[in-house]
Amino acid sequence: MNLANLHLLLPEIFVLSMACVILLVDAYWRKCLHGIAYQLSQATLVGALLFTAFISVKEPVIALSGTFVWDSMAKVLKLFIYVITFTVFLYSRQYLIDRNLFKGEFFVLGLFAMAGMMVMVSAHHFLTLYLGLELLSLSLYAMVAMHRDSAQASEAAMKYFVLGALASGMLLYGMSIIYGLTGSLDLTTIAGVIAENKIEPMLLKFGLVFILIGLAFKLGAVPFHMWLPDVYQGAPTAVTLFISSAPKLAAFAMLMRLLVEGLGSLNVDWQGMLLFLSVLSMALGNIVAIAQTNVKRMLAYSTISHVGFLLLGMLTAKEAGYAAAMFYTMVYTLMSLGAFGLLLLLSHAGFEAENLNDFKGLNRRQPWYALIMMIVVLSMAGVPPMLGFWAKWSVLSQVVAGGFMWLAVLAVLFSVIGAFYYLRIIKLMYFDAPTDNAPVLKPSADIHWALTLNGMVILVLGVLPESLMTVCRVALS
Amino acid sequence: MLALSDFLVLAAVLFCISVVGIFINRKNLIVLLMCIELMLLAVNLNFVAFSHFSGNIAGQVFVFFILTVAAAEAAIGLAILVVLFRNKRNINVEQLDALKG
Amino acid sequence: MVQFIFYLFATVLIFAAVRVITVKNPVHAALHLVLAFFSMAAIWLLLEAEFLAIALVLVYVGAVMVLFLFVVMMLDINVATVSEGFTRYLSSGFLVGLLILLEMVAVVGSHHFGLKAMPAPTPMAADAVVNTVLLGNVLYTEYVYPFELAAIILLVAMVAAIALVMRPKRWSKYVKPEDQVVVKAQDRLTMVKMTAEKES
Repeated sequence: MNLANLHLLLPEIFVLSMACVILLVDAYWRKCLHGIAYQLSQATLVGALLFTAFISVKEPVIALSGTFVWDSMAKVLKLFIYVITFTVFLYSRQYLIDRNLFKGEFFVLGLFAMAGMMVMVSAHHFLTLYLGLELLSLSLYAMVAMHRDSAQASEAAMKYFVLGALASGMLLYGMSIIYGLTGSLDLTTIAGVIAENKIEPMLLKFGLVFILIGLAFKLGAVPFHMWLPDVYQGAPTAVTLFISSAPKLAAFAMLMRLLVEGLGSLNVDWQGMLLFLSVLSMALGNIVAIAQTNVKRMLAYSTISHVGFLLLGMLTAKEAGYAAAMFYTMVYTLMSLGAFGLLLLLSHAGFEAENLNDFKGLNRRQPWYALIMMIVVLSMAGVPPMLGFWAKWSVLSQVVAGGFMWLAVLAVLFSVIGAFYYLRIIKLMYFDAPTDNAPVLKPSADIHWALTLNGMVILVLGVLPESLMTVCRVALS
Repeated sequence: MLALSDFLVLAAVLFCISVVGIFINRKNLIVLLMCIELMLLAVNLNFVAFSHFSGNIAGQVFVFFILTVAAAEAAIGLAILVVLFRNKRNINVEQLDALKG
Repeated sequence: MVQFIFYLFATVLIFAAVRVITVKNPVHAALHLVLAFFSMAAIWLLLEAEFLAIALVLVYVGAVMVLFLFVVMMLDINVATVSEGFTRYLSSGFLVGLLILLEMVAVVGSHHFGLKAMPAPTPMAADAVVNTVLLGNVLYTEYVYPFELAAIILLVAMVAAIALVMRPKRWSKYVKPEDQVVVKAQDRLTMVKMTAEKES
């Protein structure tokens, strides 16, 4: 047993032990120390951030008999995941209190889900990839169903569960075929064996197809997207916020580990399949989103189209393309955080802000939040100089450089169609009169400032996109 | 002599039965959960067979973990089912229609 | 002999699996699933995976299926409504399934994975290292990290199941005599001051 590099696991160990501590503290002292679970969770995230930031290893290290890898991509993604999760917990607090869901379980399961993401991000073995994915998914299924009296939430959880389990089954079948062909579960060994070109390519493709179907299900790429709108709409908005943000980073890491590190020499095969998924996702996501009246559902379809863009970056099969995809994923999580954060803010006890009409005349009621929403929405639509524009730009320039000119044209076309439903939100906020006299909400100062910061980051990084882009490029090189 | 293909074909048959089960079943969510168990069983057979024929224990270790996770998954699935039943008073797949757009 | 045992159990396994998806009563489905697990355990014994075969019987037949049956009984599903409108998707479902199966068999069939491509390993000697020992050796050394993760997953399942299903006491309605005795008028009745309104 090689435990020489155990200190690299310190963040994971810390998060998991703290989750257990919170579980116990919450079980015994939830009455006298109100909100202790929330405060401890946030402290845990800060602690994990410090642990991860202080581990400085230049070269990638593969530890624990090849099941764990520490490289700069893992470090950057983990740091980003902590920040996103911290913000998710912060935004959700008031919403959860209003709905009597402000309980330890939410935060404990959230931390466990985050631990699953961390495991996925530094997985270097089929086994750890699978276990990390399941740790994440199982926690998420439970979080969706957390609102026990809501028929919608439990229905969404059931759909999520069944399709998620189906996806895991597909993924595992593919993994078993690859294992049978290469005789190993370790990504480096697998890549080595495949590179020798001794295995019949048709068999490898057979395994690859199952793995890709599993991944597409988990990502929500068309035609495996059926669960995504239902889950986004049915889940409590706080959980939707969580699902739509940090797990996408983990999904990106999973794509990188499985397709690039493990099955990198099959890139010609998966390029074609990703192309298919990507075009369909962008088309369906953007077109169906127009017909939605429910904002959560609309954002779900917008997520599908963003997943299409993410896959565009991956299918170039070049390092610069992966960096663009990573940049895109990070920007997407920031925007999603802002959009769902505002939905959480506009909801209050006994009222769910989820219809487009709830945005009517927001400018007259709460001009500041209308402004932030406008920044987020413009960024999602890809209007310069917002951050979202640069994300799309970086992906598209890589696609063009890869020789897929027609694909870039198609992507731009779908983005233009997509811009329509984003702009509709702005029209509703600025040019329509409010239909009801909803109360002017006064959120607590920390949520207010966090949202403001979120909007500003999208705006300021939009002026200086190079900084974040460089981080991604360095992380992947 | 039994060949590896015999086991793989058996696993493929089982896998397809479970996939068909998931798609034809419109009435009962519990049977849906059972189909998922069947699917994992098929995958497990694949791993065990490959592990035996290549003399590599890693496949069996993977099966050990799949069994563990599947048990956890079943527990959570049934918990969600119970919550759903309390809210809807049935577990009919066709009546999962509150979320549409 | 080995072939005969394999085909016997394989037939039983497929029969049980088909019954699981076609049977109308969920209790019968669960029992057929138990049968499927048993046959699978026998097949794993043929593959010299003794530990996993026994774990399958213990964990699945002993725990998971009992949980399934328990939930079926608890929910008290009306079997009559379950049986309706099921044949509609049957033919198309089986057709699609058969197509997928044919494609899969073409790949994993004897052409690529027959005895020529993958010769059968020599059967283990009676005094060879036991399968359980082999698994145990790697499980706590090479795979210690996944092992701990599996433990966490089980914990998550426990937390989730309790959080979702357990009903805390305060939800059930009951009377506390000691509170009733000390109750005061102010606790039951709130006086609200408001301006008088005239009916228009």
